[in-house]
Amino acid sequence: MNSSRTSAFDHAGRWLIFALLAIYTLYNIGPVFWLLLSSFKSRLDLFAMPPKLFFTPDLSGYESVFGVGAAANNASSVGVLDSLINSIIVSVSGTSLAVIFGTLAGYVCSRFNFVGKSDFMFFVLSTRMLPPVAVLVFYHMMFARLGLADTRFGLILVSIFANVGLATWIMKGFFDGVPREVEQIALVNGYSRMYAFTRLVLPMVKGGIAATAGFCFIFAWNEFAFSSILTTTQAKTLPVKISAASGATGLEWTQICAAGVVLIIPVLVFFYLIRKHLLMGMTFGVLGRR
Amino acid sequence: MNLRTRMRLAVSSLALCAGFAASAAQAETTLTFVWHAGTCADALMDIAKDYPDKSVKIVPALVPYGPQWHDKIASEFAIQGDAFDFAMWDSQSTAEFAAHAVKINEIFDKSDYLKPDLFPPASLSRYGEYPDGSGEFFGLPANQDAYGLTYRKDLFEDPKEKEAFKAKYGRELAVPQTYQEARDVAEFFTRPDQGLYGWAQMGGRDYDFATTASNSFLWSFGGELYNPETFEVKGYLDSPASIDGVQFYVDMFKYGPPGSTNWGFDEVNTAIQQGQVAMAMQWFYFNGSNADPNVSKFADKLAFGVLPGAIGRDGKFRRQFSVGGQGMGINKYSKKLPELTKFMEWYFQPEQQKRYAAVCQTGLKAVLESPEWQNLNSYNRQFSQALAYLNDYWHLPEYPVLLDELQQEISAAAAGTKSVQQALSDAAEKHERTLQRAGYEIKRGESTPEVPDQVISPVGQDEVVPVN
Amino acid sequence: MTNPSHAEHQMQMKRQSSGRLMIFGFLSPSLVILLFMVLYPFLSLVYYSFYNFSALRQGAMKPVGLGNYRFLLSDHQLWERFIFTGKFVFICVALQMLIGIFVGYQLQKNFRGRDVVFTLLMMPMMLSPIVVGFLWRYMLNSEWGIVNFLLSSVGLPKIDWLGQANAALWAAAAADTWMWTPFIILLATAAFRGIPETIHEAAEVDGASPAYKFFRITLPISAPVLFIALILRLIDSFKQYDLFIALTGGGPGSSTETVSFAVAKTAFSYFYTGEASALAVILLVIIIGLSMILVRHLTHISQRF
Repeated sequence: MNSSRTSAFDHAGRWLIFALLAIYTLYNIGPVFWLLLSSFKSRLDLFAMPPKLFFTPDLSGYESVFGVGAAANNASSVGVLDSLINSIIVSVSGTSLAVIFGTLAGYVCSRFNFVGKSDFMFFVLSTRMLPPVAVLVFYHMMFARLGLADTRFGLILVSIFANVGLATWIMKGFFDGVPREVEQIALVNGYSRMYAFTRLVLPMVKGGIAATAGFCFIFAWNEFAFSSILTTTQAKTLPVKISAASGATGLEWTQICAAGVVLIIPVLVFFYLIRKHLLMGMTFGVLGRR
Repeated sequence: MNLRTRMRLAVSSLALCAGFAASAAQAETTLTFVWHAGTCADALMDIAKDYPDKSVKIVPALVPYGPQWHDKIASEFAIQGDAFDFAMWDSQSTAEFAAHAVKINEIFDKSDYLKPDLFPPASLSRYGEYPDGSGEFFGLPANQDAYGLTYRKDLFEDPKEKEAFKAKYGRELAVPQTYQEARDVAEFFTRPDQGLYGWAQMGGRDYDFATTASNSFLWSFGGELYNPETFEVKGYLDSPASIDGVQFYVDMFKYGPPGSTNWGFDEVNTAIQQGQVAMAMQWFYFNGSNADPNVSKFADKLAFGVLPGAIGRDGKFRRQFSVGGQGMGINKYSKKLPELTKFMEWYFQPEQQKRYAAVCQTGLKAVLESPEWQNLNSYNRQFSQALAYLNDYWHLPEYPVLLDELQQEISAAAAGTKSVQQALSDAAEKHERTLQRAGYEIKRGESTPEVPDQVISPVGQDEVVPVN
Repeated sequence: MTNPSHAEHQMQMKRQSSGRLMIFGFLSPSLVILLFMVLYPFLSLVYYSFYNFSALRQGAMKPVGLGNYRFLLSDHQLWERFIFTGKFVFICVALQMLIGIFVGYQLQKNFRGRDVVFTLLMMPMMLSPIVVGFLWRYMLNSEWGIVNFLLSSVGLPKIDWLGQANAALWAAAAADTWMWTPFIILLATAAFRGIPETIHEAAEVDGASPAYKFFRITLPISAPVLFIALILRLIDSFKQYDLFIALTGGGPGSSTETVSFAVAKTAFSYFYTGEASALAVILLVIIIGLSMILVRHLTHISQRF
């Protein structure tokens, strides 16, 4: 079976794949590492040539972000804790609701054929198509009139709206991978649709739910355009609060990098918690071909 | 319930009501302001903390420096909301926001303390008058700034350098009074192999970076952005004098570090702090931190001055450069004008402004004229000199459109993708189209002067008037 | 069935009505919230696109019919922007799909520490877009950035990444690809891991090469999910302009302005709300057109399986 030619080719192929993966990993993680390093550099070190790998750490960036130490009197750092709480509330609520709504909608679009289904799917997709700036003024007007401006509830609504399209489409994709036989067998045996859905099908798409929740959380957490225009003081979220970064020295690079590191931590934690489900994958053909 | 319980109930509810009434009387008024985050906002908050009326709380709503700053204010005005009560905006945005700001003249009339003569007339006009010359103000000077010259005095004072310069150019090495002189000095100090360059200036496409620098050249050579009376742009923006100025600006990039054609103020700061350039055009605002050894490697070797002028093609000397800084405007839709007025009456007292001037730049005449302020640091004196030579962009509501169109062309010229002549005439074309679409009537004159700036600013005409 | 029994008939009716109830119940939350959030802004968008309207100067509003559209469509700069946007979108989506599928394929096998590696690889996607813009601007600085430093240390010339249009296009593409390839990796890994081992084993027994396995088995089965990923990425890259603001400000000239950038500029810097709305409508029409084609293709693919 194995001629020596195939195995040599095999080896070369495997090394090539390994090399490509290594290059990609470097490309992927390198800048993140550079960000982390830069967040501890003073401005002098940041622009030193050649770039420094070893230096005395400067915590001024993190102090500015948290409003402690030398930055205790910074006007922009006041209320960082409040904005963190706002971010958590808005992101968690927005994500959960978007995932729930999207899962439900994705399920029926996967299982049933009804009048207007493709229109519904396309409509849901189209809510993602416009850059928010195009409609920000109108949202501002609408929110102000409804008393939703500068409220967490308003931001949660925005969060759901921004993510439910993504959730629906991804979940539909995952549901399509679950064979219809699963429900059919349940129905034939006298169980209700709801039972089939909640007890049988849903557990099979845990991977999809995890992936969707991960994406939605990222988008909700990092949302900037709507949050910066629609909030002023009460409902400010963390990205808007700590990305303010210009000062007497020019752009406060240390602070920007520190803000970046601080902002990524909750997302990392979230992804770490759901990592097992993320890699669960889909369930094509568990019961044979669909 | 028996009588005793009823009595207790009555007494406790009375007490509760009294408590509510007391706290209601102490109810807080919040005054919210929008500004970009930075040292000046911190300074304002630091001072506001000591405001004697404790029932009024000043709350900052700070945004990142960049488009978000303008957008936040504009968006709130667009919906006629009162999410903020007052805001600091760039002087050039006054025209745009005037329709939504409280006319300060009304406050001047009603207040006992706040009067126009608190501020130098030029400052007041620059940071709040709209339209020009109307005497109607929509903002007060909150933070003054001007474009200036930062240079390495160690290089200028070095005897070896002085000798070499004299040998090559036949005159003394000195801080340049004209851009023509500056070019020689820049050429002299451009030594790439030593990592030293002669001149740093902004060329970035973003915001107002490139045009802040190029306008300073344009005006000093006698050019104009447009004719405010007839709204003609063609023949003014692309007049021979304007082309001279911008061409000189583009040529100066030769003496700048590589890649500097798309620099903003941040990169220029870095170059200054690393000692990479002999001279740089930079806002006075950054002088404080550039002279701070914790930030700047070359802090003790830097000196600050007034930007050069130029000798135009008509042989006359002019010195004009860009104004910066912000004015404080009041949101017309805010319902807290009385409290805000009282706060402003306190905030613009010399005592408070002196504290502010220690960190940023005040507009209060009393402080600006005090010897204390003049001697506060190494550049305040030059700053008050610089105030005589300031010029500004168009004071029209269409300012952001005109700015963006000019930025586009100037940055293209700086990058070399267009000739200066082509860039300026394209810009003029676009400007006239914008003005026409906005409803302005362009009254075309018979001819346009080669050097549009006929009213030469108070610096002398046939001779170079030195400063520094 | 020719003669369904009464009981069976009843069960069928119950199934149908429970089915209909499920459809209605499951769709309404999404539908309600989307309609509520979308109706007013979108209708305003279309409405104001026919007006010479600035939200900042509302007094001067007047109807201009198709005037905004005519003005925009006759501007040759608009076409340049579309071409630039098209180039950017194509490069980004192509790179992200290729790299994402490749890496996702390699990650489907279990190996020690895979969980950690996977979470780390997701990091670029987790960063705030504002920070990503600044980070790449800092790294690509021609004087003090690490990219040019690395280039010069291996003897290559320094490149002015942000000052020339062509280089800037690739710089932005590199940053966007860096940020969003993990999106594709996540979905691709999920799709690939769902294919049961039995199918792979059966194919190997039949003597299939790895290439054959990938192109004839893995890819077709996971095609629907990959297609969804493609459509989502495509739509999102059309919206990209934050990156360009941070990296180049749209310059030099306007050579690195995408259409979304122009919309943002017109809507907020200029505050020409009517004109910005018209531009947004034009952009929307194009994106809808493209997506429709892709979605139709997607339905074909999924129906085959």
